[in-house]
Amino acid sequence: MKKFLATAAVAGLAAAPALADDIKIGSVAGATGPIAELVAPILAGRNLAAEHVNAQGGLLGGNNMVLILADSQCDPKAGVDAGQKVVSVEQVVAVIGASCSGATNGMVQSVTIPAGIMSISDSATAPSITDLKDNDLVFRTAPSDAYQGAALAKLAWDAGYRKLAVTYSNDDYNAGIAEVFAASFQELGGEITANQLHEPNKASYRAEITTLSAGGPEGLALFAYYGGSGITIIRNSLETGAFGKFLAADGMFDASVIETIGAENLVGNLMITQSASDPENASYQLFAELYADSGFDPAAPYAAHGYDAAFLVALAIQKAGSADPALLPAALRDVANAPGEIIRPGEWEKAVALLAEGKDINYEGASGPVDFDAAGDVAGFYSVNTVGDDGQYVMDYIR
Amino acid sequence: MMEFLNFYLFPGILLGCIYALGAIGISLTFGILRFSNFAHGDTMVLGVYITLSFVWLTDLHPLVVMPLAMALTAFAMLGMDRAFFKPFRKSPPIMSVIASFGLMLMIRSAVQFFWGTQIQAMVKGIQPPLQWLQPLMLREKQLYILGGTVILMVAMHLLLTRTKIGKAMRAVSDNPDLAALTGINTERVVQATWILGASLAVAAGVFLALDTQVETNMGFKMLLPMFAAAILGGIGKPYGAVLGGMVIGIVEEVSAYPWIGTTPLLNPGYKAGVAFAIMVLMLIWRPQGLLRGRQF
Repeated sequence: MKKFLATAAVAGLAAAPALADDIKIGSVAGATGPIAELVAPILAGRNLAAEHVNAQGGLLGGNNMVLILADSQCDPKAGVDAGQKVVSVEQVVAVIGASCSGATNGMVQSVTIPAGIMSISDSATAPSITDLKDNDLVFRTAPSDAYQGAALAKLAWDAGYRKLAVTYSNDDYNAGIAEVFAASFQELGGEITANQLHEPNKASYRAEITTLSAGGPEGLALFAYYGGSGITIIRNSLETGAFGKFLAADGMFDASVIETIGAENLVGNLMITQSASDPENASYQLFAELYADSGFDPAAPYAAHGYDAAFLVALAIQKAGSADPALLPAALRDVANAPGEIIRPGEWEKAVALLAEGKDINYEGASGPVDFDAAGDVAGFYSVNTVGDDGQYVMDYIR
Repeated sequence: MMEFLNFYLFPGILLGCIYALGAIGISLTFGILRFSNFAHGDTMVLGVYITLSFVWLTDLHPLVVMPLAMALTAFAMLGMDRAFFKPFRKSPPIMSVIASFGLMLMIRSAVQFFWGTQIQAMVKGIQPPLQWLQPLMLREKQLYILGGTVILMVAMHLLLTRTKIGKAMRAVSDNPDLAALTGINTERVVQATWILGASLAVAAGVFLALDTQVETNMGFKMLLPMFAAAILGGIGKPYGAVLGGMVIGIVEEVSAYPWIGTTPLLNPGYKAGVAFAIMVLMLIWRPQGLLRGRQF
């Protein structure tokens, strides 16, 4: 009798309709750590998408989309912990994040792939993520650095650099992009005088820099997180006079670089590529308007990608018709890729109505068309940032 | 030769000064309170942020307001000792270690809450090397660091050898039971330990911030080399901590020198490992440390 009651109770629970329930989605990000400033606008993007979903009727007919934040600290170990927290403790149906490539690699390999949970990263760009054996569970709205490294090499070549030293921080993201950059630069005919990894989080890099400067390089291609080693390396380089010119990628794109080093030392000497959103894209313009209230710049690195990742998860759940994790990857490809009627940021009600009619939709995101390829990657669009005389970054788009 | 001095040895000595100042507190806490204080790095961070706030308020040089920050941090540390460590004084040391771990996270989170996680500059911009020291390349801030370290070391030496409380500290560190029997007030010695350790940690932090920048994780980044320095020098021996800090700072930087040929002897990516290799070898061959500290 007891057993019967228990079975009945379980059956009752399972059959209960999910009325105005919360649907939990993990939001894993490096909220503290070496890129904390970069992560804040990305989180604002994710949260804005959830707000739009909830304000326009919610998920699956009235359920709240709830983002469960966990801090990955831009660190593989902390990324695994954060993934465990949202997947095992909070029982989320999908995960957005983690921010850094190392944290993402750790989280997906140890937690989300084994658990069969889909993840979409909005800022992990390491080429190594493309090749993961992920059972089609790992996606990203951030483009692989296979593109960004080549774009930066081309820029360096066009700017007249022929001999460069390369140094990269000992992590997945920076090692990945440094490799692509060095190969692309050499392919163009340039010479890499030294290519050396360094350990992040040290108080001084004077010895490394001096060693790197041997062989007469014209500049330093510096692949690091600004808060891990990037700022310290630029400072030590300028102080020792080893390097005066720097090339970098989006891990270095933060105002604190200019604030701590001083704009007068960087004008004309620093070039940072960044994964950007095309300002002429109608979806981006729509997003920029909606995002304005957040207090952050809509052009902040990966803010648009963060919005897209969260909005896509919501669309995938709606398309699948249930929050069953097993159905989400296929549904995600369905709503993100052509064909279908175009949905833009903020158009949740329209998307729900179209899906209800059984029509196909194609989300055109703020960060770009977000059409996932077989590996779950999207194509890239980049900007190059230099320091202007007013001490602010000046952004040009690479077309 | 000049290149070796300017780019490898001097940076190593500077780094050594910072490690040494930080390691003293760890070594003393270990010697007198008998536990490894993981919160030491974040005590440093707290002091650095207090200094930074004074710099913002008064626009004075960080070193001018540093003594005030040292006093405030030491005061805060006394409060935290009362709240988190005193209840465990008679318990096994592992309780205090865990408490210090919790305290570490609490201090860091509090700093992140009140001051934010952004990277700040203690002194903005780039300093050129001083002209009158050519061909030595030293900057004003580096002279401050070297000078400040020497002054603090001498002050610590005088405190430990010439004052009653300093002698009591050394006595408790050598043999706590015997010290208690001779009528030394252990609780006052404990307080003095926190004050000395916290003050020197703040100095180490401010020096580090002068040389690099201010961030909430800076204490945690320094924790491992500081522990390595304390163990290398001999646990409970403040002079050993100084020596250990210097050795680790110098070895870290000099290991990247191209001793043979033109490539670094050791890939600089692994220089952090050098400190630990030294520490492990030391623990195997001479567990009491360079200066015959306590063995565990």
